[in-house]
Amino acid sequence: MLVTWKYRPRDTFIQRLDPRTRFIVLLCTIFALTIPEIWDYRFMIPLFLFSLTQFVLARIEWKEMRRTLFFVFILVFFIIGLNGLLSGRGGPSAALDPNSPIIYQALIPGTVWGITITISKLWFAMTQVLRILAMALPAIAIPYTLDPNIYGTAFKRMGASDKVSFTMDLALRFLPTFSRDLTITVDAQRARGYEVEKLKGGFVEKIRKLAPLIIPVTMQSTVTGEEVIDAMDLRAFDTAPRTWLKELHYAPRDYFMIGLGVVIFLACCILKWGFGIGGFFVPDFFTKFILG
Amino acid sequence: MSQSPLVIENLSFQYRTRPEKAIDNISFELKPGELLLIAGSSGCGKTTLARCINGLIPRSYKGERAGKLLLHGRDVSEMKIADVAQTVGTLLQDPERQIVASNVYNEVAFGPENLGLPREEILSRVDAAMKRLRIEHLLERETFNLSGGEKQKVALAGLLSMNPSILLLDEPLASLDPASAHEALEVFRSLADEGKTVVLIEHRVEDAIFAKPDRLLYMEAGQVKYLGSIESLPTAINHREVKLPAEWVVKRVRQAGEMPPRVEPAAQEARGEALVAFENVDFRYSDETPLILQNVNLQINRGDLIAALGPNGAGKSTLVKHAIGLLKPTSGRVLVEGKDTKSMSVAQIAHLLGFVFQSPTHMLFAPTVREELEFGPKNLEMDSLSIPRLVSESLATVNLKGLEEYPPLGLSFGQQKRTTIAAVLAMQSKIMIMDEPTAGQDYSNYTHFMDAMCKPAGGRKSLVAENFAATLFITHDVDLAVTYANRVLLFGDKHIVADGKPEVVLKDFDLLTKYRVRPTSLLRMNLSLLSKTKRFLTAEALAAYA
Repeated sequence: MLVTWKYRPRDTFIQRLDPRTRFIVLLCTIFALTIPEIWDYRFMIPLFLFSLTQFVLARIEWKEMRRTLFFVFILVFFIIGLNGLLSGRGGPSAALDPNSPIIYQALIPGTVWGITITISKLWFAMTQVLRILAMALPAIAIPYTLDPNIYGTAFKRMGASDKVSFTMDLALRFLPTFSRDLTITVDAQRARGYEVEKLKGGFVEKIRKLAPLIIPVTMQSTVTGEEVIDAMDLRAFDTAPRTWLKELHYAPRDYFMIGLGVVIFLACCILKWGFGIGGFFVPDFFTKFILG
Repeated sequence: MSQSPLVIENLSFQYRTRPEKAIDNISFELKPGELLLIAGSSGCGKTTLARCINGLIPRSYKGERAGKLLLHGRDVSEMKIADVAQTVGTLLQDPERQIVASNVYNEVAFGPENLGLPREEILSRVDAAMKRLRIEHLLERETFNLSGGEKQKVALAGLLSMNPSILLLDEPLASLDPASAHEALEVFRSLADEGKTVVLIEHRVEDAIFAKPDRLLYMEAGQVKYLGSIESLPTAINHREVKLPAEWVVKRVRQAGEMPPRVEPAAQEARGEALVAFENVDFRYSDETPLILQNVNLQINRGDLIAALGPNGAGKSTLVKHAIGLLKPTSGRVLVEGKDTKSMSVAQIAHLLGFVFQSPTHMLFAPTVREELEFGPKNLEMDSLSIPRLVSESLATVNLKGLEEYPPLGLSFGQQKRTTIAAVLAMQSKIMIMDEPTAGQDYSNYTHFMDAMCKPAGGRKSLVAENFAATLFITHDVDLAVTYANRVLLFGDKHIVADGKPEVVLKDFDLLTKYRVRPTSLLRMNLSLLSKTKRFLTAEALAAYA
């Protein structure tokens, strides 16, 4: 059985928005940053603040989301940020500017490879973190502040087919179900003396030693998936055009937010493609600050 | 819709991957308002028959089908699945497998929404189904927070909203506590009285007869062995295959002339030393959540074979997770062999206490049974030279010798369950704790399993007595406590409300009923004969005294 996120109703501006508005504004933010490939901090900071405002307005309590935020920040800062800093890849080619001043250089001990950190790589890593957070913050708030009973309806009313809408509904509930199954399996294996924190060996060996967790959880997920399909078949899913009982209605605040999202998207496109503003560059104040 | 709701004529089916027929030459007809009980052990063909009735065969399961299956005169294989779904409502064994929506309202409306019915019609059907089952108060609840009994009622409401004329109930009592199971049976009977045709598949005949079935269909090896009134069930039907009331078993044993020998009263055993001790234990997950355990005091002693009974959510699983160290008390302490679990890792406790989880699929992962059994001892850094011997002995103990190189996930459910027990045996823990050891198994299989585990045989102690200093199992099945335990814990209101010998704890029917434990015919008969037997016995053994 699929479980849901720790959602609870709150009387906040964000929760009063139509769920479609939340998804549309999120998509506008993501598209504004990705389609015209915006890397300019002057665009990025307002967009980050726009996302942060939505996140704060959701009024999720710290204790509710501290674990989620911990994992997200680990991912964003240490994986995406560090990757940007060390490799400079995953973004515009300007981040790899060979003329950018080097601020740190070293050989990896025991190898022929070296690490070179330039000012443009450092700036790129910071921009990348800000960019990802601008896209992630409204999404992180969704599970806590969007009623799971209207996931499917929201996608249907946005024009998706019955099948896609219900698939999205199930997919959004899959992660907490996976988390529940993982907790049970971790407990079951810990009771057999298995200690994740004491795994030995290199990276590949450590991954291999996660099999006692990965295999049972994968099996459970497969079984759950098959059960859901049987249960839906037995109740005539996808045999006729479906009636979606829940109705959604836009309010003026929804039009305002969607309008804002669309304006942001169009502005980014026009400024980038029409005026050539919005690409990657390292501002002088940053170079001066680093080089003293 | 004037014709018989269900007509089956010479129906046979063979799965594409199997060499033999799963069902062979089945014929019967059901009238509106008739309640048919289908019984038989695992592999007898009842699930295949159910799949034929609800149309999953031939749509989802391929094979060779012969004969006819008519729903109101229409051949099921020629009907659209939407039509079949509106004619046959299928309630699966575990309501958790059936529920697809995240709240009750969406779940009950799911079927009518799929049929594309007008909004007003759906609302009216949801309302009628909820009222019919008296669960209007659940309408806004999240489905995953419901109790087992509530989940089943919601799943049933989801079927009733499709307005089917036939209800196909596939072992609907399996995941319910005894009181919820009897409430469900009352509902099934009343639905039949209102004109629904009800097909109830259940191996626990003792419980199912509470629904007053009009007829019983008994299957063996894919064939109908008996079809007729439940009262005149012939002695040829093996009472070891399906669970019959104790009085019936006694009568059949006596009629068959298989009079068992009288059993010696159990020797009075002195309580052994305490292995696990709970001292004033309180537990809650966080400051904001309510207490789950409150002032629990308990000692598990050497020689104990404990059955833990009580309703869902009473705290039984939470308590055993404290013993293994997976949870630590909010206040009070838990001692394992005198050491506070707060100062021990789970791995350290695992040396002393083995825990078998309810579902084998949460534990099993290795490519072979041998590697699965080596996993625990290796984690505990046991002597590598002794591990092959421990694995071999553990497999022999649970009768899985010869399956060392088989993938555990490819074994039957019963074999998987025994593999998990062997995995704990190989760790040489002193105490074994099993969470619902019989869950997911039919009567015949779980009786064999529990006999093999807990019954002395051939002049030797039971498997658990020989290998563990103490054993505790959590169960909903009162008869397991009656038959196998030497001590019973009754849980309720977040703590242990009764603790003692089965003969003492289980005679207080008021207390049992208060905590949703329903006295069974075996318990009643044992209590009535206790002055002669001096101990609780199986129904067969009681034939010597009745």
